Amino acid sequence: MKVKPVNHARAAEAFIKDTPHLTFHDERLWDLRQKRDQQMHELPEWQELRTLASQIKEHTLANLPEYLEQFEANAKKNGIHVHWAADGAEHNRIVGEILEKHGAKSLIKSKSMVTEECNMREYLEPRGVVVTETDLGERIQQLDNQMPSHIVVPAVHKLTPDVAKLFAEHYHTDPNDDDPQSLAWSQRLAARPVILAADAGMTGGNFVVAETGSFVVCTNEGNADLSATVPGLHIATLGIERLVPRMADLGVFVRMLSRSALGSPITQYTTHFRGPQDGSEMHVVLVDNGRSHRLGMEDFWTSLKCIRCGACMNTCPVYRRSGGLSYGAVYSGPIGAIIDPTFNERKYSTLPFASTMNGSCTNVCPVRINIHDQLYKWRRVLAEHHELPFVKREVMNMAGRLLGQPKLYRAAISGTETALGVLPRFALYNWLNPWGKNRELPHPVKQTFHSWYKQNRLKTKKKGEDA
Amino acid sequence: MSSRDAILARLRDNRPDPAAHALPPVARLGDMDASRARFEKSLALLGGQVLAPQEGESLSAAIARRFADAKIICSAVPEFEGTVRIEELGTPQTAANVDVLVVRAPFGIAEMGSIFLSEAQLPTLNSAAHLTQHIVVILSESTLTANMHTAYIERPEFHTARYGVLMSGPSATADIQGVLVRGAQGVRTLSVWWEQ
Ligand code: SF4
Repeated sequence: MKVKPVNHARAAEAFIKDTPHLTFHDERLWDLRQKRDQQMHELPEWQELRTLASQIKEHTLANLPEYLEQFEANAKKNGIHVHWAADGAEHNRIVGEILEKHGAKSLIKSKSMVTEECNMREYLEPRGVVVTETDLGERIQQLDNQMPSHIVVPAVHKLTPDVAKLFAEHYHTDPNDDDPQSLAWSQRLAARPVILAADAGMTGGNFVVAETGSFVVCTNEGNADLSATVPGLHIATLGIERLVPRMADLGVFVRMLSRSALGSPITQYTTHFRGPQDGSEMHVVLVDNGRSHRLGMEDFWTSLKCIRCGACMNTCPVYRRSGGLSYGAVYSGPIGAIIDPTFNERKYSTLPFASTMNGSCTNVCPVRINIHDQLYKWRRVLAEHHELPFVKREVMNMAGRLLGQPKLYRAAISGTETALGVLPRFALYNWLNPWGKNRELPHPVKQTFHSWYKQNRLKTKKKGEDA
Repeated sequence: MSSRDAILARLRDNRPDPAAHALPPVARLGDMDASRARFEKSLALLGGQVLAPQEGESLSAAIARRFADAKIICSAVPEFEGTVRIEELGTPQTAANVDVLVVRAPFGIAEMGSIFLSEAQLPTLNSAAHLTQHIVVILSESTLTANMHTAYIERPEFHTARYGVLMSGPSATADIQGVLVRGAQGVRTLSVWWEQ
């Protein structure tokens, strides 16, 4: 059966109609964006840090096989068991086997987007392993049977009464509790006994250091450290793109990660794992799941630099006004829109249209991923692979439903009945980006447009001359 | 071919030209102020506190004053008794009953108000630092380093510790409607006691 594209605009409709949720979501994320700006202004070296972060990541990605081998050798020396998983299924099988070998029936875990990619809970639970998310936001999403709607704040689309209702159902607390403090306390009380009785713990990893064979976990609630240190078995799921060469490179990244994500200088916990505790066992699973393939995509490989800070989501007007769940994918927002199609081009073909192309995502990205350029390039790829009505409809969907200005967009794309093939390239670009016509674009976009225009005009001219 | 070899082979085929992407030298940037004042300001921002002695008060008197209701006070330092030694806890289940844990951090980071702990400071039980309700950290001003760059460049612990945590204030969450709650699942408070 052919998989259907996610109907992002339709999925967002219910969210948009729900004014209290929409308003809170929009304001909360914008608040995070502003807090990030404040932190940035306190560091005169911010732009230099971004450049360094980008260079370190690009260097590492270009030398990834060597750095992975170095990491593996050092980790093994430190007593860590290293596993490699080509895809989610292999990852899940490996984790299942480790647990089985230990007779482990309960697994406590901290937040990890890679395990979401792998659908690990769905694999383990029918095999008799109880998986408990210990991060508050992630736990809320688990209890509600939903994916995380944001990579840093998984339940940001919910309001306090939604959480009170879920907790009442599952933790038997007061359904009318409207105090986030007391609800957070309920989570602590509910989680502690589960943590203390767990057979195994699992974390992700924000950074992986080749030089020392370490991996680093950045969190706030203390649940990741509990999950890693209380049970005698710690399994860490690591995306292979998370490598950095040297321990000292972490300075650059740790200084920007939480500032970009939440506008706090650092996460409450920055934990460096280099080997198991005495009497314990530590395993890492290095997960590819499409990353090695993405590395070969000339226009899109730099998306692998992503450190999952979520800043591009917080700043994106479409994300703020549609909610992460409407993307129908593990990764939402601008970063999701450029990496999801590499997992399944057809299913996620609508996502690169969920953007106003205002360039704000690119401007806030701490590792300088040219996110809006990549969105643009995806639109081009999709325009080539799909029929015209599809592309046109998606532009309209984004414009009309999400941003409430259908007229503007109809005007912007009028005259596009002409077949794609006969449109000059620059006109095609403008048409794929109606927003650009009516908005003042930030500098980098302008520059790109001009260079594109120039390039294409010259080409057209040349063609003309040739003919 | 194993998955390992297949992944590495695919990466070798697909990677961009390594020659075009040089590794920049290690960065040492930013404010180089390693003062106690900067540390305390950062610590406060992250929700940590300073446990200041009142009129020549000893550490144990200050702890008794601040944590008047505490029943189990666990010590991981030689100069302070407490009601139990960290080495005697044995299991996380016992550590979960601790009200206050007293430890010594080998260094702090002024930029972040962070303190570092590893298995060397938490003998036999790393989880004790997270299962205790409150933590009191003895810190010497002379061990402060300016920022994350200097910390990673200068401190050998990042290369030697098997478990090394930078704690910056107590555990916290803002996962419910964006309201900041200090004291999430790890320690509810973190206090720094300056070594005289
Ligand atoms: S793409 Fe950049 S801004 Fe977005 S999550 Fe990744 S690192 Fe952060």
